[in-house]
Amino acid sequence: MTDGHGQADDGIEPDGGEATTEDPSTEMAIQTDVSESVNDSDYTREAGTLVEARDVSVYYNDDRALNDITMDIPENRVTAMIGPSGCGKSTFLRCINRMNDMIDAARVEGDLLLRGKNVYDDDVDPVALRRRVGMVFQKPNPFPKSIYDNVAYGLEIQGADGDYDEIVEESLKRAALWDEVKDQLDESGLDLSGGQQQRLCIARAIAPDPEVILMDEPASALDPVATSKIEDLIDDLAEEYTVVIVTHNMQQAARISDKTAVFLTGGELVEFDDTDKIFENPDSERVEDYITGKFG
Amino acid sequence: MPRKQYQERLEELREDVLYMSEIVAERLRMGMDALDVKDEELARRVIEEDAEVNQLYLELEQDCVDLLALQQPVAGDLRFIAATFKIITDLERIGDLATNLGEYSLQAERDVFPDVDAQRIGEATLEMLDDAMTAYAEEDADACYGVAEADDDVDQLCEDASAAVMRELLEREGVTEEDVDDMMADVSRLLLTIRDLERVGDHAVNIAARTLYMVENDDELIY
Repeated sequence: MTDGHGQADDGIEPDGGEATTEDPSTEMAIQTDVSESVNDSDYTREAGTLVEARDVSVYYNDDRALNDITMDIPENRVTAMIGPSGCGKSTFLRCINRMNDMIDAARVEGDLLLRGKNVYDDDVDPVALRRRVGMVFQKPNPFPKSIYDNVAYGLEIQGADGDYDEIVEESLKRAALWDEVKDQLDESGLDLSGGQQQRLCIARAIAPDPEVILMDEPASALDPVATSKIEDLIDDLAEEYTVVIVTHNMQQAARISDKTAVFLTGGELVEFDDTDKIFENPDSERVEDYITGKFG
Repeated sequence: MPRKQYQERLEELREDVLYMSEIVAERLRMGMDALDVKDEELARRVIEEDAEVNQLYLELEQDCVDLLALQQPVAGDLRFIAATFKIITDLERIGDLATNLGEYSLQAERDVFPDVDAQRIGEATLEMLDDAMTAYAEEDADACYGVAEADDDVDQLCEDASAAVMRELLEREGVTEEDVDDMMADVSRLLLTIRDLERVGDHAVNIAARTLYMVENDDELIY
């Protein structure tokens, strides 16, 4: 069993042991129970929507970091979130897999639905949720273990049966890393280059076969070549997963996303639309000013 | 190859432009045939089907805008998109000129100047268009100069044809008062046909000029 201590940033409970003891029925409840979804008669979920935010606000103590966010994130698409520092985009991202639970001062209001089920319901286990909603961070954070163990980690903590070798290979292939590391699986993940480490983290995130992959500035610490590989990978991943990415790099959002959400100061979602619409003819003057560099 | 999706979109744009050029060349051929054999149905088809060319033009223009707005093209990619943005305008205008030929065909009731070979001029301009688009497809700078040279020949053919019309007009005998209006309509239609074909050649040169810019960053043929 790999010990998860010190790896809270991975989006998995620090106590790896707890994850193995959870009641499998809890996870089943998350996956299948849509009968308790929020019934808002004024709202009909769009076909193909995977994640729905309904009036989501987040407070850090008394300070509101996110202000009544309502949006539908489509399945098997890349949705980008852009905006100036402190606009709340990362805070929103962390609502989706309840990473904000780890911050004592944080309080979330509103409904955040995954396939119609509110992830903040009492019967939802955050650990099980994070298997369905994987996360990749700005700075590559492989464990000080072998490449193989890094990818197998997520499988081990959920006590998954089956052939780890096959899943590790498949995950590394999907993360476009297999060809570069297949002969050195026993070597430390920390010996890889930054770009390779980030793809290793992506392989680790997809090994448990999640539905959503959250990415928080996944390429901002990488050089242009490594960034390009990550961007290509994101495009490929969207064929099987729903990708939600926060990026400071507007051009990156334009290149790789299908939908773009623009958050501006005050934790406000100002505009959310098809990416070409946002970058060619946004409805909001504030969004136009932001993306053309007039402020922000 | 890095930026796979972007590269695929560039390639799709190139293929779509070539498809548009095939459609436009087909329309031009139809317009010339309609004029040649006074085929009313063919003439109407050329006119009606221009909407398809216009739609293609708008779609490709949008593709160029999307690539510029979303993909930040630079260097050769930027020149390719900038050149393509101009080239599709030339193709759309050739489509318009093809519809003009269809309209002239509908208006013409007789062949008043049998000595003027508009078909020969049309064939030459079609060949120029084909050469220009081949240069674009194959990124062939030398072929661009060939298109510009061919235009000199087309211009000469057009000049000769216009002179032949005027000469015939001046030398024609036995023109009655009643014939004058019909003759004026025939002459102006024929001169417009010659002018439109000459403009097809000019658009082909524009395509070659933009292709040369695209391939070698050379604006020599742009004027």
